[in-house]
Amino acid sequence: NSPAPLPERAIYGFALFLGSWFGFMLYLIWAYVPETWLFSLGLTYWPQKYWAVALPAYLLVAIGIGYVLLFGINMMSTAPLNSTHTVTDNYAKKQQQKTFQEEAIPALRDIPISEVNRMFFLPEK
Amino acid sequence: EERRYRSASGAAIALQCRQHSASCRELAVRCPRLQLRSLSAVTSAVWLAAYGLYAVSENSMVLSAAIFIMLIGLIIYLHFVKVDQESLLVIGSLGIQVTSSYASGKESTTFIEMGQVKDVVINEAIHMQKVIYYLCILLQDPRDPQGVSEVVPLFQSSKPRLDCLIEVYKSCQEILERRKTAPQSS
Repeated sequence: NSPAPLPERAIYGFALFLGSWFGFMLYLIWAYVPETWLFSLGLTYWPQKYWAVALPAYLLVAIGIGYVLLFGINMMSTAPLNSTHTVTDNYAKKQQQKTFQEEAIPALRDIPISEVNRMFFLPEK
Repeated sequence: EERRYRSASGAAIALQCRQHSASCRELAVRCPRLQLRSLSAVTSAVWLAAYGLYAVSENSMVLSAAIFIMLIGLIIYLHFVKVDQESLLVIGSLGIQVTSSYASGKESTTFIEMGQVKDVVINEAIHMQKVIYYLCILLQDPRDPQGVSEVVPLFQSSKPRLDCLIEVYKSCQEILERRKTAPQSS
């Protein structure tokens, strides 16, 4: 799964490049060429030209709203002050006590909040 | 024994600690009163906006509506929102009582019996784009002695800063420690 260049990736990239240029040219032709010329060529089934302006406008407003929406979603997913998720979680509840070995660094574990508070705020006697 | 501290937003609050007996303590945090300058600022803003609306619409009901809104809004604010004092009464063998007194005189009280209280700790959490310290009571889960079933945050309106919280925490821990060493007499 490395991001190194591969022949397949080069082909996909080139195909996307050509496709996006083609799509852009098609969009410009549809937006600017008058309808009568397109009808004379026999191409009658196009969407209304109203959409050539409406779609970019919608897209820009959607991007702007996306910023506000993401901010709001973040605020809504923050745990409220009275939830137990601020104190513990499933991993901490299910962790097992590892055996204490002499002269070894103690194993990593989630320390309960009461112990942390005592260590921080009560002066050591 | 009243000491001055600051709240999380910078307002001046005062902590008062009273020891009723060896195992009973009352800690009260007093919030600043409603300031005259903020009240007059809001009143002038609302009345000027109403006068602007009246000048545009020529409808005098707008002015009376603005006066009503101000009065009713002020009463609702004083009765439901503006907290005057929050106090914590810790009785060693009995429980913990949390009282909020509002500016209109209303008092709302919650009592938690000592059997349900696991611990009183200072927790940090994200609150409105800030990380604040707040004191909370951890309630015991009856099925799991190590588990926490509920978290009850304290001093929600005054939001004292860490120095004030450490004082309250030390006071509570002195009483809570004694209930473990004393023999259970139930």
